[in-house]
Parts: sequence; structure tokens; C-alpha cells
Amino acid sequence: MKNRPWLFLAIVLVFLIGLASTAAAPALADAPKEVRLAFLNGPRPWILGKIDGSFDQAFGVPVKWVRFPSGPPALAALAAGEVDIVRVGSVPVTSSLARGLPFKVIALSGVIDTSERLVAKNSIKTVKELEGHSVATVAGSTAHYALLAAFKVHGVDIKNVKLVNLNPADQLAAWKRGDIDASYIWGPAWHDLEQDGGHTLLGSGALNKDGYYLFNAFVVSNDFAEKYPDLVVKFLEVFQKTVDRYQADPDGSAVLIAKELEQGLEGAKLTLAGLVYPSLTEQLKVEWLGDGATTANSNIAKSFGDQAAFLVEQNELRAKDVPESYAPFIDTSFLKKAANP
Amino acid sequence: MTFRGPKQGRPLGVAISVISVAAFVGLWYVCGRLKLMSTLILPPPQEIWISAVEIFQDGYHHIPLWQHVGISLGRAMVAFFLAVLVGVPLGLAMGLSQVLSSALEPFVQFFRPLPKIALIPLAILWLGIGEVSKIFLIFLSTLFTVVVGSAASVKSVGEGKIRLGAALGATRFQMVWRIILPASLPEIFTSVRLAVGVGWTTLIASEMVAAESGMGWMVMNASSYMRTDIVMLGIILLGLAGYLLDYLLVVAERVTVPWAGRE
Repeated sequence: MKNRPWLFLAIVLVFLIGLASTAAAPALADAPKEVRLAFLNGPRPWILGKIDGSFDQAFGVPVKWVRFPSGPPALAALAAGEVDIVRVGSVPVTSSLARGLPFKVIALSGVIDTSERLVAKNSIKTVKELEGHSVATVAGSTAHYALLAAFKVHGVDIKNVKLVNLNPADQLAAWKRGDIDASYIWGPAWHDLEQDGGHTLLGSGALNKDGYYLFNAFVVSNDFAEKYPDLVVKFLEVFQKTVDRYQADPDGSAVLIAKELEQGLEGAKLTLAGLVYPSLTEQLKVEWLGDGATTANSNIAKSFGDQAAFLVEQNELRAKDVPESYAPFIDTSFLKKAANP
Repeated sequence: MTFRGPKQGRPLGVAISVISVAAFVGLWYVCGRLKLMSTLILPPPQEIWISAVEIFQDGYHHIPLWQHVGISLGRAMVAFFLAVLVGVPLGLAMGLSQVLSSALEPFVQFFRPLPKIALIPLAILWLGIGEVSKIFLIFLSTLFTVVVGSAASVKSVGEGKIRLGAALGATRFQMVWRIILPASLPEIFTSVRLAVGVGWTTLIASEMVAAESGMGWMVMNASSYMRTDIVMLGIILLGLAGYLLDYLLVVAERVTVPWAGRE
């Protein structure tokens, strides 16, 4: 074959120029072409807004819903500028902010109570009895953090437990074979395990009294928040409306959400009921995000710090990467506007 | 094939390869130094080097780095060995027997291009979450390429040689052992090299199943925490190990089949 080094070099050069220009392209406009929302498989009230298009109506531009299997890839897409707003668990938020991803936390989408659970085979009666057994979880998730917190609270020596990292989709197979005896996982995945000879040992809400808070948050890319602050406020207003609608009719909403996500109704209903939804006004209290002035002392800012310390302990993050406080990454200005229109 | 190129061309070829790699790393380093890209999106070589030193000293997840490399190589080598052990005789038999070939061909052609990641749920159900299911996935992705290559190699044996053997009164066993096998070996080696390349790509998929160590697992785990420096380190190690495996096969071929390419 005849060698054509110049042709090859030219192709590489064109490719690199293309890459550089897309990265540097300025996009100044009053409204974006579309708003891209990233959602995960978990059933949540805001999915009602996906079904009836209420976000599209409020924004005045179409919404593109992008589905992700878990939080970390959704945040990677946010960093790449592929999505604008993400609903994601607190642990991926903690690690991504430490690694310098450009986004801010704008609100809580829900506080985890029994929507994430430690489910074990019926023969295992207490958390302590998990010693000597295999427990599955998803590395780097809120469930993983909650599992290790539960071990601490109940005096389980982690050396005596075999932790198995498995995707939710693969857990049922391993459970059926008896390769795992328990799992800390989100709904509706735990519903399948409970249907197959399992029972709940605890939900994440039980850890609150020991100072462990697990929650989901809405995060928005810095870029989008700067360019379209009004849309971020509108987003939160519509979100609160979907929560109100869910709370007025939990069963009817669950039917719609389960259908939209193509999931079993019972698991979706229990998962939706397993979260606490503090209203936008409540979220401004120091008990949750605080009102800006009190944010540094808020439970959520502290909880981010705790989760970061945990990730450093687990050797997942470098201590030098962890910010002194997570308060600067929490922006409650949108929350205030949406709560007091 | 560059590995068997003319002798006088080789030192120059090596020099060009070295310069091209050095230029690439240099450009990458400069991009990092000038902060053309966020270090999160493309960690510069200096940051990867720092992480590499840290992990080399303290291990990743308290497991020494050589153990991550070793366990991945171990999983792959066992799978490759089994694939050659099963695949070469099976392929030769298919090449020699029209009946067997017709009987197995549909299965081979069905499984060969199948993305092995699709088999993960079944592998867990059949073989659990231990080492066996991981090795099974790599084995499967390697096996069929070896079978197809071995079967094809028989057909490429020169008609003249077979006629010569028949004229000299060779038995069927002698025909296979003395004529067909030696003549097919170079092609079999090529198919094994291809198969190892394919199998190596399945390593990450196999280590997505409940692994706690291994280079593929390291990459997956680090990505959940946005540790792109460790992701890049893992990718570099995976690439180098794959390179090394291929090189070892080339050496093995030169030693065992010195007659390769001399016809």
C-alpha cells in the first residue's frame, strides 16, 4: 500500500481544529434552543412534568430528557456540556465537586428515607448478623455510603463482610443464585429482592438520628445558571408543582410515573413514598440548605463535608482535592426566588 | 507485516516510532502546561505520573498496583489458554470435516460477533460472581475467533502438499500431524493474535461483574468518582499490557514456527 502521511496528518489537523472550535464556540442568546434535563431510573415526582410537558411550557422551549443509568455518567455529561440540569445522589455530587466539576447545587429533589434500603435474606434478622455474609451495593453511590454508615452505627466490622460491587440490574441474578445475601440499593430494585425471599433491615432515614443524611439534589451547570437564571427559577417552580400534585394524589401519580418509566407499579409507589420532599420554603431553613447566610451551617452543607471525609477514608478522593466547605457550591438564590415569587 | 519487514529498515522504523510517541507525549504535556484543557477532562501526563507514583507506593484500594495488573493478566491468560486448547482442535476438525463444519458453523457465526457484554446477566446466573464468570466472558470472546481462524487455516494448505502426502502413502493421522498442522500453524498464530486482541477488550466488561481488583475494575471504579487521572493511568496500563501480550505471541511464533512466511 502506498503511504500517504500528509493525507493522514491533514485529517488529524482538521479533526483537532474542529474539536477546538466546538469547545470555544460562544453561544450567547436570550433563550437556549432546548433545555436538557438528565434523569435516572428512580421514580420521582418531577417525572410528572416529563409526562405532561409542564417544564416545556414554563421554559417556552422544548425540553430534552436524557436518561442515565447512574449519577456519575450524568455528571460527566454535565461537565461535557451535554446536559444542563441533573437530578443526582449526594455522594456523586460530593466527589464531582471535589474533582472540580463546574456546577452548583440549587435544591434538594428529595431526602432519602426508605427509598433506599438494606434488604437481606429472611434468615438474617439484624444488621450485625451480616457479618460473614456477602452484601452487594453500587460503588460510589448514596447506598454505598449508607451501608458503611449502617455498619458503623450497628458495630459491624467491615473486615467480616464481603462487599460486592454490582449494578442493580445484575443484583437479582446474583441474589437468586445465593451469591449475595443482602444488598443496599435504591428502589425499585429492592422491591424485586423483597419479592424473592428478602426483607428490609433498615432504610436510610433511620440513619438521620446518627447524623447521616442521604439525599438527592438538583444541580445545574455553572454555564447554564449564569446565562439563564430565570429558567432555573422556573424549573424549581414547576418542580414544586409536580411534588404538590404527587402529594395530592400519590397513588394516581405512581401509576403515571411507573408507566412512563416502564416499571412495576408496587415498587414505584413504595419508592415514591420512601422520600421526604421538603418544600422550597422549608429548604431555605438551616435544617436543610439554609438561606445563603446560614448555608455554611446548614445540615446539607455539613453532610457534604461528612461524605467527602468518608470518600477520603475510602481512598476514593485525595484529601487535598476536598474543599474546606461545600457551602460555596450551594446557590440558594434560585430557591429564594422560586419560593417567594 | 512490519514485524517481518526487511532487516535494514528496522532501526529506522523503531526510531520513527520512538520519535512519534515522544512527540505525542510532549504535545500532551505542553497542552497541560498551558492549561488548554481542564485537567479533569484531559489530565496532563504530569498529573497522571503523580497519581501513578502514589498508587505505586500505596496501591489502589489497598491493593498493590502489580496485583491489579497481575490479576487482570491472570484472568486473560487463563481464558486465552483455554480458548486455544479448545478452539484450535475444534477449528482444525471443522476445517477437515465438512459435516462438522456445517453442523457448528451457525453457532460459531452467531456467537463470534455477539457483544459479550450482553452475556453478563446469564454469566452471573450460570457461573456466579466469582472468577469463573469473568474468565468465561473472556474465553467466549476469544474462542470463536480462534475457531474460525483455525478452520480457515486448514483450507489454505497447498493442494500440492496434500497430493504429495497422499502419493507418498501417508495415513490420515500422518497427513494431519506432519503436513496439515505444520502448514496451518502460521495462520493459527495470526488468528490467536487477533483473538487475544478481541479478548483483551472484553476484560473491562468481565471486571464489571463484582470485581474488587484488576485494571478494568480500577478504571470503572475511578470513573464513578471522576478520578480521570486514575482512569487514564488504567487505560495506559491496559494498552501496554495488551501490547506486551501481542509481542509475546510474536516471539512465541518465531520460536515455534520458524518456517512461517517462507513460502
